[in-house]
Amino acid sequence: MLPMMRNQTLKSWRSAEQWLLGSTVLALAMAAFIWLVLGPAPAAPAYLTAIVLLIVSLLASLIMMLRVGTTRRQMEAMLHGRARAEQHAIEALRHSEAQWKEVFEHNPVMYFMVDAAGTVLSVNTFGAAQLGYTVSELLGQSVLKVFPAEEQRVAQSNVAICLEHIGQTHSWEICKVRKDGSSLWVRENAKAVRRLDNQLIVLIACEDVTERKEAENALRQSEMYLAEAQRLSRTGSFGWRVANGEIIWSEETFRMFGYDKAPSIKHATIFQRVHPEDRARVEQTIDRASSDGKDFEHGYRLLMPDGAVKHVHATAHAVADASGGVEFVGAVTDVTARKQAEVELHEAQTNLAHVTRVTALGEMAASIAHEVNQPLAAVVTNAAACLRWLDREPANLKEARSTVQSIVEDGNRAGEVIQRVRALVNKTADRKAPLHINEVVNEVVSLVQHQLFSHRVALRLELAPALPLVLADRIQLQQVILNLVINGIEAMQPVKDRPRELVIRTLQDEASHVLVTVSDVGVGVAAENADRLFDAFFTTKSSGMGMGLSICRSIVNAHGGRLSASGNAGPGATFQFTLPLHREDST
Amino acid sequence: MSGRPASPPTHATAEEPVVFVVDDDASMRDALSNLFRSVGLRVEVFGSAHEFLQSTLPNVASCLILDIRLPRLSGLDFQAELAKADIRIPIIFMTGHGDIPMTVRAMKAGAVDFLTKPFRDQDMLDAVTTAIERDRVSRDEARVLSGLHARFATLTPREREVMALVTAGRMNKQIAAEIGIAEITVKIHRGHIMRKMTAKSLPDLVRMAEMLGIGPAAGGPQT
Repeated sequence: MLPMMRNQTLKSWRSAEQWLLGSTVLALAMAAFIWLVLGPAPAAPAYLTAIVLLIVSLLASLIMMLRVGTTRRQMEAMLHGRARAEQHAIEALRHSEAQWKEVFEHNPVMYFMVDAAGTVLSVNTFGAAQLGYTVSELLGQSVLKVFPAEEQRVAQSNVAICLEHIGQTHSWEICKVRKDGSSLWVRENAKAVRRLDNQLIVLIACEDVTERKEAENALRQSEMYLAEAQRLSRTGSFGWRVANGEIIWSEETFRMFGYDKAPSIKHATIFQRVHPEDRARVEQTIDRASSDGKDFEHGYRLLMPDGAVKHVHATAHAVADASGGVEFVGAVTDVTARKQAEVELHEAQTNLAHVTRVTALGEMAASIAHEVNQPLAAVVTNAAACLRWLDREPANLKEARSTVQSIVEDGNRAGEVIQRVRALVNKTADRKAPLHINEVVNEVVSLVQHQLFSHRVALRLELAPALPLVLADRIQLQQVILNLVINGIEAMQPVKDRPRELVIRTLQDEASHVLVTVSDVGVGVAAENADRLFDAFFTTKSSGMGMGLSICRSIVNAHGGRLSASGNAGPGATFQFTLPLHREDST
Repeated sequence: MSGRPASPPTHATAEEPVVFVVDDDASMRDALSNLFRSVGLRVEVFGSAHEFLQSTLPNVASCLILDIRLPRLSGLDFQAELAKADIRIPIIFMTGHGDIPMTVRAMKAGAVDFLTKPFRDQDMLDAVTTAIERDRVSRDEARVLSGLHARFATLTPREREVMALVTAGRMNKQIAAEIGIAEITVKIHRGHIMRKMTAKSLPDLVRMAEMLGIGPAAGGPQT
């Protein structure tokens, strides 16, 4: 292009010179002609004409030359400008090409151009570098080189799909392998195009998604762990947006409630499973939570379609959601097994308590027999006396009547003792009721009279009058007191040098508990045994299971009280337990 | 029963025997009181040994019905204490089951009887009758003996000496030779002795000497 422009300029130059030369030649020819024709003596007119002609032609030539010069300068200027513009354009193009090259080479996207056979035609530096190669190491190689063996088939088929649908973009995620053997995950966008030379090539742009993939994997793993943990711990999670009533459950929650997974559920779905007897309570809890937006916790039963009953416990924490509304995030745990274990444990404890109670009664058989025998002897004697009053002449009806009255009283007394013993022997369920602790103490005392006598133990009762009621199971409390009294009596067995005295006190302490203490003057509690005293199977006696105090403690604990032992200032030990007062509102 | 503390000995005469009952069980006390009153026996009941010891006992034939199982002072200890205080009242023990060792001890210590509660009324009444009878006899014996002692005390030393020898079966002559007095003096002494001791015959006097524990070996004065 550039030489072409220059030639044109030269051509115009040449034509001006030609004009000048031509007109000069024409003028000289004219002069010579005149010279030859007219001779050296010039005929004035002819010369004049010739000179004029000459001058005119010279002038014409000059003008032409001037004009041509001007045109030529203009032409040159124009040509020069064009050349510079061309130069600029070329530079701009070069620059742009370099830029694009730069972009192509260093854009953090891997570009590959492969032919239909999968041979790498082109790859950018970044792409090669990401895979740990130089560009030259990849050019001309099969692209399969950068795929691990197990992915090569996939890569091939992907390329094949592109080739089938020319011009369509396809994308996929695939794992690649670096030169050093490490792998990376990429997302590839590819399409096949036909080049100008009609060759089919596949352009591939791929982006490293390893981090995202790893994060995804980690998330998936963590979700899997969470789901597994939820399954193992039988704890499902839930979210509840109060504003729209939408509830989101975890997989485990769905499993627990026996539903198929769903994106979200409503409360109606929950209530479908809640045990009818618990429904009102659960409704109340949920209504309260939705109105005051505070953390809540509740346990209830589920009645499954197969009739099975599950015990669940739900805890929820209130959080403010993005729109300022309340959202609850919580966990619901299937506590059926625990409940079952609790029930079984309770049963076992009840059985054990019963066994120890019966054992204790066995030890007191003589005492009990005496307590029954005493009124019985009175009944027999009175009955005999009554007959004698009636046999008199005349019969003394007044005395007979009063004697029968005594018989009734004594008979009742014997009956009461038997009833008390039978209650202790019976296996009864917990029956907590408000009661007077002093009554319970007296009932126990009535059973151990003989025991006290045969061990030569004097009993002192210091029962505080007008004590408030306690909420307790009468039989269980009798068992505790009975146990402490028998322990006290036995602890004084070796005592020979001082009077054996057992003191039972009842009082109300400052912390509004009723306190019962049983003090003896026996061998006391060895310091090293103090801690183990209430352990099951711990005993210092040659006979006995060592269950007594352990049972006593669990009974007292179940009543919300505390059983403890301490050494006396003098000889002996004091066992004491507390019981919370019965309040009308606590049922 | 109406008379809870004790049945008051309103119509009591000095001769009428009394049954004492000591039992800590009020029902049993009342029942026993009732039984004895129904057969017309005078009865006094006490809740403890202490109460019994506090009361003044009438000097009539009586017996004590004692529960072997008493608080503080047991029936056995009480028995021992009475013996120590020389209060010789026949005791009938009432026992519960399983008190056999105590029963044995009580019997060895001189109890009249023991009855296991509940007992047949007739057994109790029989035991009481026996006990009162025994007390009456021993009281009679005691009364006779104390009379004898009083009469014996009126004898002079010489008369006591003579009485010992007479009741040992010696002849007046032998006695006179033994103590170196005249036979006639022995006869006078003998007459005084028979009169003072209100002995009807020689065998009667011999029996008295036996009761007083005067033997020939002793020879000397007894009191």
